[in-house]
Amino acid sequence: MAARGRKPKGRSAFSGLSVIASAVLLFMVALPTFITLTVGLLPSLVAFIFDRSPGRMMARCVFGLNFSGVAPYILELWQDGAQTVGGATQQIFQPLALSIMYGAAGLGWLLYLAMPPIVANVLNLSAQRRVTELRKNQRGLIKTWGDSLIKEVDRSS
Amino acid sequence: MQSVMNIGIMAEQAEDQKQDASNDAGQKPEMDKPGGGAPVDETADAKANLEEEISTGGKNLEIGNFRVFTDLRLPEFDMGHCKAYAADNLRRSEGNAFALVTDPVLPTRYDLIKFLSGVHMAGQIDLLDSAIAHWPIFGRKTMVLFFEKPKGGHVIVSSGKQRSINEQDIAASVVEPLMNVLQALGEKGLTHRAVRATNLFFGDPEGGKVILGDCASGPPGYDQPLVYETTARMAADPAGRGVGTLSDDLYALGMTLAELAIGRRPLANMTDQEIMDIKLSKGSFQAIASQEKLPLIMIEPVRGLLCDDPEERWGFAELHAWLDGRRTKPVQGNTEKRAARSQNISGKDYYTVRALAQGVAKNWVNALTPLRDGTVEIWLRRGLGDNDRAKAMADAMRQLQWAGADKRSAEEVLVARSILILDPSGPVRYKGFSAMVDGFGNMLSYDVQHGSGPQRFSDVIVRDIPAFWFGRQEGYSPEVQRLQSAYKNLRYYIQQKSAGYGYERCLYSMVRNQHCLSPMIEQEYVVDIAQLLPALEKAAENVSDDAWPVDRHIAAFIATRLEDDVEGQLMAMQNPSDEVEYSRAIISMLAVVQWRHGPDNLQNLSHWVARLMEPAVKVFHSKARRERVETEIPKLAKRGNLVELYNLINDEQERRKDQSEFVEAVAEYSEAESEVFDLESSGPARLEMAEKVGQQAAAFASTMIALLTVSALFLMHIF
Repeated sequence: MAARGRKPKGRSAFSGLSVIASAVLLFMVALPTFITLTVGLLPSLVAFIFDRSPGRMMARCVFGLNFSGVAPYILELWQDGAQTVGGATQQIFQPLALSIMYGAAGLGWLLYLAMPPIVANVLNLSAQRRVTELRKNQRGLIKTWGDSLIKEVDRSS
Repeated sequence: MQSVMNIGIMAEQAEDQKQDASNDAGQKPEMDKPGGGAPVDETADAKANLEEEISTGGKNLEIGNFRVFTDLRLPEFDMGHCKAYAADNLRRSEGNAFALVTDPVLPTRYDLIKFLSGVHMAGQIDLLDSAIAHWPIFGRKTMVLFFEKPKGGHVIVSSGKQRSINEQDIAASVVEPLMNVLQALGEKGLTHRAVRATNLFFGDPEGGKVILGDCASGPPGYDQPLVYETTARMAADPAGRGVGTLSDDLYALGMTLAELAIGRRPLANMTDQEIMDIKLSKGSFQAIASQEKLPLIMIEPVRGLLCDDPEERWGFAELHAWLDGRRTKPVQGNTEKRAARSQNISGKDYYTVRALAQGVAKNWVNALTPLRDGTVEIWLRRGLGDNDRAKAMADAMRQLQWAGADKRSAEEVLVARSILILDPSGPVRYKGFSAMVDGFGNMLSYDVQHGSGPQRFSDVIVRDIPAFWFGRQEGYSPEVQRLQSAYKNLRYYIQQKSAGYGYERCLYSMVRNQHCLSPMIEQEYVVDIAQLLPALEKAAENVSDDAWPVDRHIAAFIATRLEDDVEGQLMAMQNPSDEVEYSRAIISMLAVVQWRHGPDNLQNLSHWVARLMEPAVKVFHSKARRERVETEIPKLAKRGNLVELYNLINDEQERRKDQSEFVEAVAEYSEAESEVFDLESSGPARLEMAEKVGQQAAAFASTMIALLTVSALFLMHIF
């Protein structure tokens, strides 16, 4: 149990280390991309820091859509031959760009908030439909077998 | 017409009552109503009957092949406790018949009726036929026996005097015919048990050979005066004197000879207790010889036949030798050992074991102390020198010490066992109950029908007193073996409390001619199983809605009389609260009886059963099947066939199908119930799961959007 408990912690540590190593590598090799990613994925970073729930679902939701919002600007940066720090800085501090990146992150957060009630409603409706179906079957059985069925069920329970 | 008949009956009863009043106060009741048939003093009875004014009205009823005149009494042919009435044989013109009406609350003797009916046996009155018929005087059914009128009338006439039989002729006119009867009965393993002077008739008007009267109208020995009973059996109640053996009939023959020889009943001026005392103290023959003057010629056979030791008592060989004029071996007058000193019980001294046994039985409570403190044991050892009995007594006392909490019951058992140790060939005596083991059935029948109830008998069986009696019998006797195996069944029956067992089962299994005592059909005098359903059919006309057609008596009666095994049904009847099984068992029993013995159409009973089939219909679980059965029941009830009614609810294939489908339905219902419960009670868990799944779904969707966006951007870049 203790070993099982330790394993994910080790993997998480490894995963965190690999992220930092990738970030350092990216910082050294492609600084403008690093700047765009760092600024653009700031909501995800905050989410990863504050989301301590198992699986960090909220952080994943935020990250998925946040990254979708950042990806076009990364591609745009890569299409620009110069790939300078200034270009990257100018790009990311445009209000529209920031709005798209952070807005996407916000959508991710909203998705995280909205999805559980939707699933709960679906499950409840399904359960109610099953209960109705079972009650209908029971009524049919009582109609065929009479009260003795109930008595027998009571006796056997 | 009915009112005329009632007036006639009332008049006759009034006449009988007038006669009772005219007789002395100590006279026992006679049978002018059911249960009035206590053993009677026949001499006085006959005297009273002659005074009876005989009506010659025209009231008659046809019973089988006979027409019986209910208002034409024939007191000269009354026998024992039964009254005789004039009768015509409708089939035969010659011969004179008369009807003997038995007491409905006393069982008749099946084996003798069966053996003697329609058979002419020299020395025995001809029993022409027997029938069960409604007797208006009793207002219920009873058994009527039809006899051929003896041509010569009673040997002992109404005045109590006997018509003269020469002492020299007694051998030929009395001993020979009576021996013939006893021999013929003995060959069939039967006993007469009504051999007495007052039951003798002359077979011809000249007063030649005598014939013996009825012996089948009541329990064996019931009508015998006490003096006619052996020392072993005289202590038993009249109804419990038992079937006995040939030896008991020979003893009665000896007493008959003594009565005929001296011209009046021996020891007639003594009370029953005095007769017992003198017989026990002196021996039977000495008791008679000391009080009465016996003719010299009769001394030898009377001494031989009245010998108190059954082994020494004269048999046919000795009687034949005497008839042929040869000398026979002398017998001891009194074989009973007399103690050097007496044993006192309740202020009375006893010198012999048998007398002491009787004393203990009469003083049940006071006898316990000398038995418990070993006084009687010491008396047996020192006073009588009987170490075997003393040792048995010591063993019985030791068992008292092992008794558990029920000390009182153990003390009563000690008293009962002590009596059997003192008098092993005597009756089983227990707190007022006194019957020979072969007379248990008739004693029980008497007790149940005369208000004493079955408790005394049940106590005797539950306390296992007869087992001790069997243990005290010496030597091998097939009769004792037969009784012992029958007794094992009795114990089993008494220990079972449910319907079909208990004292009722004991009663019907011991007394073949016991009519069913169920209150519903008692008046119908149902003796044979074939009479049962017609009687119930009649009872069904006025029965209450909630009464069951099978009660404890009828269940026991069917279980005993029916050839088929009904133990399964009786088992099902053990639990009356299970209405379905209970009603099915009852219907099944009645259906088996109808199938075996008919009649085919029992409309009233079928409707009665149909009313009670409601629980039995519940044997089907399916509503559709029940409705079908409920529709069928009235149709089948109209046909009066119980077998069809039973088959309707006992279609085994249909029942099995119904049962298996029902089991499946119950399982399905239970599963559905359990699933509904799970669904209804899993709200919080479902919310928790919904949150988890929702978050996972959101994460998945978010990841997929990211992948799709990146893929789309790449594709846009490439193309």
